[in-house]
Amino acid sequence: MTCSPYDPKDFLFGELSAAQGREIEEHLQSCPECREEFERLRLTQTALHSLREEEPPRRIAFVSDRVFEPRWWSKLWQSGPRLGFASAAMLAAAILIHGFARPVSIGPPPPDTAAIEARIGAEVARRIEPAVRAAVAESEARQARKTEELVAAARKNFELQRDADHVAIAETLTLLQKKYMVQVASADWGTRP
Amino acid sequence: MIFREVEDRDLVAKARRGDVEAFNLLVSRWEKRVFNYLLRLARNREDALDLSQEVFLKAYQNLGKIEDAGRFGSWLFRIAHNEAFSLLRKRKPEADAPEAEIDARPRHSFPIELSLAVENALARLAADQREAVILKIYQGFKFEEMAEVLSCPVSTVKSRLYTALDLLKDTLAPIQTRGVQ
Repeated sequence: MTCSPYDPKDFLFGELSAAQGREIEEHLQSCPECREEFERLRLTQTALHSLREEEPPRRIAFVSDRVFEPRWWSKLWQSGPRLGFASAAMLAAAILIHGFARPVSIGPPPPDTAAIEARIGAEVARRIEPAVRAAVAESEARQARKTEELVAAARKNFELQRDADHVAIAETLTLLQKKYMVQVASADWGTRP
Repeated sequence: MIFREVEDRDLVAKARRGDVEAFNLLVSRWEKRVFNYLLRLARNREDALDLSQEVFLKAYQNLGKIEDAGRFGSWLFRIAHNEAFSLLRKRKPEADAPEAEIDARPRHSFPIELSLAVENALARLAADQREAVILKIYQGFKFEEMAEVLSCPVSTVKSRLYTALDLLKDTLAPIQTRGVQ
């Protein structure tokens, strides 16, 4: 602490007006303690100036030097991957936004299952009857064809059998006739003297 | 200083219009000051050099954002301040920081003992106090400009600087009393 009217450091750094400077100068001349304090500050400032500025070990690169060019990863980032990354990020953001912002009940109302079942039943009934009728007709026709075939085959067999029977009967009659003739002839020969 | 501001403003305007050489000239003009500011703060030459390069790169990339081209210096040191403290934060705690490089080269008319003592005394200050000393003593900024660089009120800048000066005065007193002055 000093009894100086102003801070000696302000005086040291030229922060006081001319009038204030004159005032503190007069005080320093008359006050040994403040003068000593100011002297130590001045010596400290001088000591600090003992460090000289140094030249940079090598010059800072100019704009035209390579160091100002974008680095390899920067160039890479400027090209395709950045577009890809940006697209992926936008897609992810869109999915998120859609997920969070989707309205709760927008869309078709829930289906009336009873009405649908009735409609399906009617449609089935409408289609199944002709289908059954057609199937029955087809089956009947098939049966009729088969019956006709069987009847024709039976008739043919009957006729063949009848013809065979006629032949057999004719042969039997012929044989009986011959036997009769033989017996008649034999009787004639017995009765003759 | 006025001429420099006028020329800086002109160079910034040209660089904004795509004149690469104008920006190269700004680099040449400011690189030594920026490097020394960062060297005193970071206390490591390689770090200071890398940071300097980064500062000018960011300055070039953000040239369109500068509001007052005449205050290019304050704006540039604002970038340097951000870069330096970004590095210092990564290095925390401060005690773990690499030992300050001690340059044994002769210091002109000042004895090596005094220069080493000053380097050590600066290294023992808090980073924000050390920065205030660097900006005022070594870079010659006005308090208003320092406030702009550091984004804080002038009163805070003064407080940091004056506290640092008191600490340095006490630390360096034994050296001074041995007659090195």
